[in-house]
Amino acid sequence: MANTACFIIVGRNDIPIYEAEVGSAPKREDAAQLHQFILHAALDVVQDLAWTTSAMFLKSVDRFNDLVVSVYVTAGHILFNGIKSFFQEVHELYIKVLLNPLYLPGSRITSSHFDTKVRALARKYL
Amino acid sequence: MVEAVNSSLGKMLLEEVSPVVMVLCTPLVEETFLKNGLSFVETLKPFCNFSNIDVPVRTSGDQLYRLKKFTLRLFNASDIKQPNVEVAKQRLEHVITQAGEKVFHDLESDPPQITDILSNPESEIAPTWFQYYNKELIRTLSFSDHEAFDHPVACLLVASSKDEEPLNKFVDLFNTNRLPSLLNDGVMDPKILKHFLLVHDNQDATTERTSKVLSEMRSTFGNNECNLLCTNSSKEGNVEHQANPWASFKSSVPAEKLGFALTGDDIGEIKDLMQEFASRHIIPYMEQKVRDLNQQISATRKGLRNQIKNLWWRKGKDDVPDSTKGSIYTFSSTESQIRILGDYAFMLHDYELALSSYRLISTDYKLDKAWKHYAGVQEMMGLAYFISDQSIKEAEYCMENAFSTYMKLGKSGFQNATRCGLWWAEMLKARDQYKEAASVYFRICGEEPLHAAVMLEQASYCFVLTKPAMLHKYGFHLVLSGDHYKICDQVNHAIRTYRSAISVYESTTWSHIKDHVYFHIGQWYAIVGMNDVAVRNMLRVLDCGNQSKSTQEIFLRDFFDIVKKTGMKHEVVGLRLPVINMSSLQVIYEDHRTYASQASALVEESIWQSLEDDIIPSLNSGKSNWLELQSKLLPKKYKESNVCVVGESVKLDLEFRNPLLISTSVTSVSLICELTANSDDLKLDKEPSSLSLETEHNQVTTSGLSSFTLSEVDFTLGGGEKKLVRLTVTPSEEGILKIVGVRWELSGSIVGVHYFQSVPTKAKTNKAKRKNKLTPTDALKFLVIKSLPRLEGSIDHLPDKLYAGDLRYLVLELKNNSESPIKNLKMKISHPRFVNPESHEEELTPGFPDCLKKGPEQNTVQRETSRTSVFAFPKDVSLQGDRSLRWPLWLRAAIPGTMSLYFTIYYEMENVSSIMKYRTLRMHYSLQVLPSLETSFEITPSPSRLQEFLVRMDIVNRANSDAFEIHQLSTVGCRWGISLLQPVDTILPSKSILPGQGLSCFFMIKDCRKPGIEEEKTTSILPSQTDTKLITQDDDEKFFDIVNSPLASFHESERSCHGTSDQLSPNTVDFILISRLAKSSNPSAEQDLLKILSHHSCHNRIRSSIPLSWSLDGPKTMYHDFSTSFCEIKLKMVIRNTSDGFLSVSINTIDGLPDAAAPTPSSGNLSGWRYVPAITEEMKLTSDVMGSRLGKPPPSMESSPPFIWSGSSSTKVQIQPLSTTEIPLQVSVFSPGTYSLSTYELVWELFEHENASSATSGTCQGYPYYITVLQSE
Repeated sequence: MANTACFIIVGRNDIPIYEAEVGSAPKREDAAQLHQFILHAALDVVQDLAWTTSAMFLKSVDRFNDLVVSVYVTAGHILFNGIKSFFQEVHELYIKVLLNPLYLPGSRITSSHFDTKVRALARKYL
Repeated sequence: MVEAVNSSLGKMLLEEVSPVVMVLCTPLVEETFLKNGLSFVETLKPFCNFSNIDVPVRTSGDQLYRLKKFTLRLFNASDIKQPNVEVAKQRLEHVITQAGEKVFHDLESDPPQITDILSNPESEIAPTWFQYYNKELIRTLSFSDHEAFDHPVACLLVASSKDEEPLNKFVDLFNTNRLPSLLNDGVMDPKILKHFLLVHDNQDATTERTSKVLSEMRSTFGNNECNLLCTNSSKEGNVEHQANPWASFKSSVPAEKLGFALTGDDIGEIKDLMQEFASRHIIPYMEQKVRDLNQQISATRKGLRNQIKNLWWRKGKDDVPDSTKGSIYTFSSTESQIRILGDYAFMLHDYELALSSYRLISTDYKLDKAWKHYAGVQEMMGLAYFISDQSIKEAEYCMENAFSTYMKLGKSGFQNATRCGLWWAEMLKARDQYKEAASVYFRICGEEPLHAAVMLEQASYCFVLTKPAMLHKYGFHLVLSGDHYKICDQVNHAIRTYRSAISVYESTTWSHIKDHVYFHIGQWYAIVGMNDVAVRNMLRVLDCGNQSKSTQEIFLRDFFDIVKKTGMKHEVVGLRLPVINMSSLQVIYEDHRTYASQASALVEESIWQSLEDDIIPSLNSGKSNWLELQSKLLPKKYKESNVCVVGESVKLDLEFRNPLLISTSVTSVSLICELTANSDDLKLDKEPSSLSLETEHNQVTTSGLSSFTLSEVDFTLGGGEKKLVRLTVTPSEEGILKIVGVRWELSGSIVGVHYFQSVPTKAKTNKAKRKNKLTPTDALKFLVIKSLPRLEGSIDHLPDKLYAGDLRYLVLELKNNSESPIKNLKMKISHPRFVNPESHEEELTPGFPDCLKKGPEQNTVQRETSRTSVFAFPKDVSLQGDRSLRWPLWLRAAIPGTMSLYFTIYYEMENVSSIMKYRTLRMHYSLQVLPSLETSFEITPSPSRLQEFLVRMDIVNRANSDAFEIHQLSTVGCRWGISLLQPVDTILPSKSILPGQGLSCFFMIKDCRKPGIEEEKTTSILPSQTDTKLITQDDDEKFFDIVNSPLASFHESERSCHGTSDQLSPNTVDFILISRLAKSSNPSAEQDLLKILSHHSCHNRIRSSIPLSWSLDGPKTMYHDFSTSFCEIKLKMVIRNTSDGFLSVSINTIDGLPDAAAPTPSSGNLSGWRYVPAITEEMKLTSDVMGSRLGKPPPSMESSPPFIWSGSSSTKVQIQPLSTTEIPLQVSVFSPGTYSLSTYELVWELFEHENASSATSGTCQGYPYYITVLQSE
């Protein structure tokens, strides 16, 4: 089954710091903005949930039609929207990025290495 | 939380679930009431709501309670039917369209702020027309067959007193044929309460007739069931009602026109009539019915026995296949009766009874699988739970159940589900469960877009109302809703929703979202014709670099279409296309510093300053003068501001970047400037603000008045391309020039403006330095002073790539276009090693390479080398007008590498009273110097001749592609004469050195210095002796002149560059090798053939550490008759002191064999006499090959026959500097043979002065010297 997924890391103040369209479905032109809309809207739910639970992984917090939003909240309240082991791996990658002294927390992640790694993980887990 | 009854759902239920009164009236009645612009039903409608009816009611129980609020619903008999779906749809659409037209005018205003939305009271968040829409939506479901609350409770029969035979009319009215079909086909009970009303029109009916008819009616139908209604009492028909009761019911007609014939008394009468009708007739009737039904049902259905019976009976009915149709229940069936009981109880606000009957019936319906009925009952249960403030959970459960059951029915149940959903949502809202309400709205979206749009929008408002507000969801649902509105062409609504959504997304960085919202709202604004608003919104998406190329194309195309539609050029401040890189902003202006080219303007100021240090007036004297002058001429305020000159352009470099993937054309890029006259300095302090405003507005006109001129640049930026653009402004009047911003046209249709105020300030905020700090705007502010001469300079044909050693003749052309002359020109060059100005202005007569050659008259040696790198032009050089000064320069690429040559020319203005006394012209050129020939020299003293030295020259061609011909090698100075040992042609037949090729040549140089003779005398040797031609291709070619200007001065600078501490050491030789590019190497580069390369090698030391040279002179071959005596041979040793010190040399001769070469050390005591074992053989040999013996004595002979040094065995001599001494020596030979006379050593000591004690000393072994002595015949 051709599935489609959108993965976004959201920093403080709801600023997206990394975006990737992953999945095997052929790209649709409006998919990107639809996904953004859905994920953006899901932030409300996440904000409520994040403080009520200690779990990092919040499974299907929100859904829109057949698109399900899952979230992984890091300790620093940076959200990973998209599945658990995938999230964990990406979290590790993200921490590596954070350790980079040249990376300003909260700014957009532009590292191509990060991008390829995330996409590889997406292929592996999703 | 609001009390359930008072909540909006409570009110809605009171209105919607209330007794229905069917109205049957004659045409004349309608006619009577139409005089007021209202139908009969409409006239009565406002008076059907009773807020305090206060009627005591007793239903099932014994308890009496009082009804407070009560409503009647009046319907014309013709309306009592299930509404046509299509008609209903159209009506709903109409509602929306109307609402859309109303909002149209608000659309132009700015979108609301999110804080405003949140601070709005709850009721104002959602537009009011939603309630109306919802009501209409619910009404589309009225008179459905599975519910009973729409069944008419009573029937109002109305006839006019003007009717013929009113009594018959009443009978006719209730004729079954004319009754609604629902009553006839058994869904509704046709046996209902009847009430008769006679209408009397005060305007045109007589009271007598009316009262007669009334009494007839009363006698026929009963006293209680008949009423009289007098109406239209106002004869003139101009009554105006202050608060028109009909206004809210009929909006299509202006409110003042309604009911103008009805007086206050009439209205009072209607009110009383309705109140009486409700309280006296309907409520008691319903009460009675409830009691009856309750009794009947208790008898048949309540109790254990009845229950079992019922169950068994139902089971039997399972076989009926068509049970889901629902039409099986007629009004008279038990189920319907129970339902009616429930609904009546509900309407009479006896919710307990209603609930119990609903519960009873719901299991029955469930067993019958009559799902629609089941859902309807569940729905009512939910509402009953809610309104009686009972278990919330139960209520929700029932609603959920009803909703999902309706949904299960598929399309047919959807409308019911919608109504159920609306109620459910209202219920949740009343309980402050907005989030859940939103999800309910979302669930009832359905497939029809318009319906979905409204529901989504309602959902979005719920998200705002949740605590805390869920703004993300709010925005998302608004966008979804807007999209749906757009699908059904409700553009106004679409814009309205997006406009609200913008408030959420305004500050977001989610690019796709932002682009989507702004782009679409822009498009839609264009559809409704608000092009300017459209453009404003579309501007936000222009910077859509992250979108795909096709999307960008769509964005831009639509944008420009809309812009075109507006038909004017919009001026947009902060247009993001193209993006301006403010950090790239660089201002280039010329005050006293002027630049020859752009490249020179970009060179760091410090380089120029260090270069100009010693040519501009020195700090102490100059600056004080300058400051003084400045403070006199300039207001203090502008002391720090930049200065520029009238007529000279101020250049500004700015980088434009195209964020898109598609190319964009940017045209008419120009600066926005202000030029204010500083005629009155005091005024300026206050004026700039007002002035700047003015100038900003008529910026075009000011430039038209030519107080300054602006350059315009057009260019096209490819996808993602960056371009550095140079913009200029040329002031033509004195004053204060401010560069305010930049403007450009995008694709010829939109004007972008960018103001520079936002330049990031780098200035320190140090308080102490505040006075000197230049704010960014100051950096763009110039004091324009009156026009000054400006020198322009260029160097013609300066190559950018050349070989090391390349020698070029260049011309520096200086030009002063203004009329006032300049004087006192000085020039400084950063690399004097590379460039050498000619000392006088003249054209070269013989042409370039030939001028370097030696001419007969050019032999004079000019030793004029100015060590300073400042070159002062002759005093009489003054430039003015069109005349240009062409000054010859020599360029020689001294070392390989990339070189930056900086020239700065200082000049002073004559007769100009200005703050500027002098200016400098700065020129910058960069050269790439490629490696060419590399030479190294090794000089060794010649062993045979004093004052002569062997020179080995190694040449390697380091160039990549070109071959070189070596032409001439010269020694510098007059000391050394040079001659070629071997013609180069023999070593190098090709005559050119190919890339990578190495070559060694040998020369002999001769020291021509004479002892004790001073410098001037040494020049006696012919200069030509210092040069040697290496390749003799055309013999008549003259030597290059190395003692005259260019080469000699370049050599000077080379020397000083290579200068070391021992540079004064006398034993150094400087060589100049002159080569040229080989002719055949590159046919395309014909003009390169004239190139001449000179390679300078300085301070080549003679590879000899001893300060002396000597030679032994004497006969080589002698004949002597050994039979008479031994042979004495006189020799002469010539020793030359090659140093500048005093030399003392002692010669120690060693007899015998002192060296380790002795073949027979055992015979040490036989020193002097040796046995030669193979002498006979040797003799034979010698007789055989006499010749070879002479040239090369056999090794055995070398050490064999003895000789002794006769005379003094040790001689000591003192030798003056650079002088020669001869010492006579003598050897005695005892037998014929060949002898090596190298058995001596020279021990020398060198003193710097005659009496100096410190000395260097050393020992030298003798050179081999062979002498052959033969037996004379």
